[in-house]
Amino acid sequence: MPDDFDKDVYPVPPRRTPADNKQTSLPSPAVIASKLFYYSVDLPVTKFRECIDSIQSGHKSVYYHQRFRRVPDLTECEEGDYVCYYEAEMQWRRDYKVDQEIVRILQERMRACTQREGDSYHQNCSKELQNYNDATKAFLSRYGDLGAYASGRKCLMKQKERMMDAQKA
Amino acid sequence: MVGMSVLRSAAAFVARLSPLKSVNKVSNLLTRTIPKTEQVQVRWGHGKQLFVIKSSSYYDTRFLHLLKYYILLTGIPVAAGITFINVFFGEAELAEIPEGYEPEYWEYYRHPITRFISRNIYDSPVKDYEKMMAAIQIEQEKGEHRLAHLEVRRQMRQRGDGPWFQKETVDKGLIDHSPKSTPDT
Repeated sequence: MPDDFDKDVYPVPPRRTPADNKQTSLPSPAVIASKLFYYSVDLPVTKFRECIDSIQSGHKSVYYHQRFRRVPDLTECEEGDYVCYYEAEMQWRRDYKVDQEIVRILQERMRACTQREGDSYHQNCSKELQNYNDATKAFLSRYGDLGAYASGRKCLMKQKERMMDAQKA
Repeated sequence: MVGMSVLRSAAAFVARLSPLKSVNKVSNLLTRTIPKTEQVQVRWGHGKQLFVIKSSSYYDTRFLHLLKYYILLTGIPVAAGITFINVFFGEAELAEIPEGYEPEYWEYYRHPITRFISRNIYDSPVKDYEKMMAAIQIEQEKGEHRLAHLEVRRQMRQRGDGPWFQKETVDKGLIDHSPKSTPDT
């Protein structure tokens, strides 16, 4: 069966179910509902999953996460060396995708925290909110208005403009 | 039919089956059992049967039938095939790259069909990368050759010591020096 989510990153809040104080011998509707859900949904799904796993257990394949070597940047390429430009451009595109995924993960953590805490998220989720805001600001300052035809060269020119503005100020 | 004799009810039942026969006429039997043919049960409420004038739905139904047919003609085999592959082959699981092992280029994908296409149909991404870099290098060298060509033309035209930009002159051996070969007397 696939693993559960990481409990450190997405902590489960403590349960607030009160202690049982049964004064009747009638069955409680919560127990009835949970048993109903278990027998109608949980059990068939688990059985189906185990059946499929048993069929596939003999010949399971694996896939790996590809690691790319670092190549010289656009700033380290000689002028007119278009092959070097191409490799730097490909590396910049991979880094762009990685940065998008980083911001997406931080956003997901912030949303999970907000959902968990409800109305008190302002104080309880401050760390996640801070992380996400910092990451978004950095992402926008680096890749902000580059557009759909973004390239490593345009990003480098944007960085140059940023550095010039920082020097003026 | 409580309260009537068995024979009467039997005769009434037979008479109901064919009420138009003269034997079974209403007056022959005690009339309590047979409903008269003139007094047929009329059910009210459905309205008069009308001939509703609508536009033809033949073309619409034909179009929808053909649409469903052609979509399902390949849709059902494709769906069945993909279900078969997902159940009997299954997606791959993420694993760490073992020490000293270089995974093949198709082992970086998860779904079995993607792996198959990558392995059998597409070239490896490394090969595609190298092909692109080879094309770029060829174009770069062409550009450099063109610029060098222009520079060489400029230099040879300017200095005149190269093989280009030479003008053909008459052969020296053809000049007749005889008018000037002897001094004037």
